[in-house]
Amino acid sequence: MTIQFERGKVVVIDRGARKLRVGQGMLKGMAVVWHHWLKSFQKLDNFSKTAGVFTVEYPDERIKLPEAYRNMPILLYDDETGQELCTACFQCQRVCPPQVIHINQARNPETGKAIPAAAEFIIEYDACMSCGFCAEVCPFDSIKMDHEFELSTEDHAELTMNKAQLSRPVSYYERIAPTFWAEVKASAYKKLQNSVKRRVDLIGIAPQMVEKVKAMRAAAAESEATEAAPSSAPTKPSAAETSPATDKAAKLAAIRAANAAKQDAGNGGTSTPEAPAGDDKAAKLAAIRAANAAKKAAESGEGSASVAPAAPEAPAGDDKAARLAAIRAANAAKKAKDEQENS
Amino acid sequence: MIKTEELQINIGPQHPSTHGVFRMLVTVDGETIVDLVPVFGYLHRNHEQIAEVNTYLQNMPYTDRLDYFNSMANNQAYAMVVEKLVGIEVPERAEYLRVLMVELTRILNHAGALGFLINDMGAWQTPLAFGMREREKILDLFEMASGARMMCNYFRFGGVVRDLPPAFMPLLKDLLVALPAFFDEFERLLCENEILLQRSEGVGVLPKDLAISYSVTGPVLRASGIPYDIRKAEPYSIYDRFDFDVPVGSVGDVYDRFLVRVEEMRQSLRIIEQVLEQLPDAEGDHINPKAKQNVRPPVGDAYARIESPKGELGFYLVSDGSEKPYRYKVRAPSFINLTPLGDMCRGYKVADVVVILGSIDIVMGEVDR
Ligand code: SF4
Ligand code: SF4
Repeated sequence: MTIQFERGKVVVIDRGARKLRVGQGMLKGMAVVWHHWLKSFQKLDNFSKTAGVFTVEYPDERIKLPEAYRNMPILLYDDETGQELCTACFQCQRVCPPQVIHINQARNPETGKAIPAAAEFIIEYDACMSCGFCAEVCPFDSIKMDHEFELSTEDHAELTMNKAQLSRPVSYYERIAPTFWAEVKASAYKKLQNSVKRRVDLIGIAPQMVEKVKAMRAAAAESEATEAAPSSAPTKPSAAETSPATDKAAKLAAIRAANAAKQDAGNGGTSTPEAPAGDDKAAKLAAIRAANAAKKAAESGEGSASVAPAAPEAPAGDDKAARLAAIRAANAAKKAKDEQENS
Repeated sequence: MIKTEELQINIGPQHPSTHGVFRMLVTVDGETIVDLVPVFGYLHRNHEQIAEVNTYLQNMPYTDRLDYFNSMANNQAYAMVVEKLVGIEVPERAEYLRVLMVELTRILNHAGALGFLINDMGAWQTPLAFGMREREKILDLFEMASGARMMCNYFRFGGVVRDLPPAFMPLLKDLLVALPAFFDEFERLLCENEILLQRSEGVGVLPKDLAISYSVTGPVLRASGIPYDIRKAEPYSIYDRFDFDVPVGSVGDVYDRFLVRVEEMRQSLRIIEQVLEQLPDAEGDHINPKAKQNVRPPVGDAYARIESPKGELGFYLVSDGSEKPYRYKVRAPSFINLTPLGDMCRGYKVADVVVILGSIDIVMGEVDR
């Protein structure tokens, strides 16, 4: 029986049964081993060679790891501002096959609203299977795979890593994976800026950077204060003078934005988010307009609000009004955005 | 012949040879095997049950851990079954990359398996180091492309996770220079070695009909003289585009299994060379951009199989329309090839058992799941 294959045939292996066997097989083998012994004093540094020493004397000598190498996940933060790239979107927690990622969403201590940052981030390194899915799905390029592999410890519990242990500066990742980071750098920073806008106080700052950022902000606030009031006059009046103005503008903008959103939603036919598909375009346009207005408002609102965390000693009264305006503007923007998404 | 009292002994479960936690309950009459019962389950880790609480994508890295020598082949079989279930198209370039990786896997698997087989015969480490050297080069390439040496997790539904890095091709071309030299050298080192012949010729014969009735597949089946290779019998992926031969044995003993594997490495090399020729013209990207990874297949079932280095590796999935498989079953070649061990060993000496086991080429991670 012969079997025909397309593009290839069946070959019956020659067992060399008719060959004379008088020990030449072993001699041949020994010649190979002897050849390798002679070559064992040189290094096999090229893949096309088959003889030579191909091991390295770890740990004195190390093989360069390829960029794609993945061991354990780490979290990135910006070198200068200490802002973490993570927004606590929970994508990585959801995809992780052994479910070893645990995230706590950060919340505004005053309003209780969610802030795009992780309050705590824990990865159980001991159960992580180094699959790399978390790094693949992260839309903010925050979680990346580290090249560090010397993690052995005597204490099992030490392998449960918290946010402080996981955080690394962006420059660290840039060093181990330059081309990978270059590909995503621009979009990652753009997204980071967006989330920084919605963060307050020291929330979202990498734990190891908190002290540094505090000092930086205090210094900035001080120099600002001395600039604004070169004489011995207290800073209060100047703050009081400026904030009502910006405050008012912000409020106005917020109201306008909200109105615009409302009106346009009304134009869309129904006030419910499930607007008919026909008026879709009009609704979208309106939403974009509203969002823009809100953004403007938010920016002017933010302008005064962002000074507040930097100088916690600033009068609470004016501060609160400005913040409220900002929040209102943000809400209006969000509403507009929601509508835009839904339609 | 003098008849002595029969004795039951356990070989294993602590590494009967170097193949993992596996026990053989052997009845011996003096040195001769009267009966052998393989006992496994020591490495059972609930693979199939875990797969049913995972989403489809989350199972991909788990398949790496079945036959940890061939994670790329496992990935391919699993990716194929999900693609079949959901109906995802794979771009041409991705198919070429997949074939490239799986054929490299076949070479590294056989290089390792033959090395360990010689180890089992008592030639400690030296021949194994020859195989390991080439295997290490291939693992370096895998690490470069996928990020890990053994747990590659390289395949995704609709393609592979990322394209080859620029440094990959020069190294692969260097490797293709080294591989033929390695095969020649390996043959000179061992194929005619009188000790190896003594230990392997006529040992552990698996007759054709027995091999078929045990549904043995892969090199073990082909060594018994049956030219059955899924790449030819039911060409999947793009295997119909390559010229390669199917080596078969004539006796079905350990020596045939050894020689068949050496020849299969050469054939894999032929395929890789053709892949490199055709790859630059391949259309598409490394992954189908429309393919979602977070799949939700329609209600139904699918089976996909590949010729893994150890034999027919198949995955069977039943979907209930949710994001998790309702049932997930692995047809593991190591497990099925291991079942005729008792028949293969009967009548041979105790020392042959280890060699016969080595010649089947099993990985306990796949046997026990
Ligand atoms: S690498 Fe995989 S297992 Fe580890 S934390 Fe990320 S998703 Fe989870
Ligand atoms: S690490 Fe990335 S994916 Fe995970 S919660 Fe943070 S931003 Fe989301």
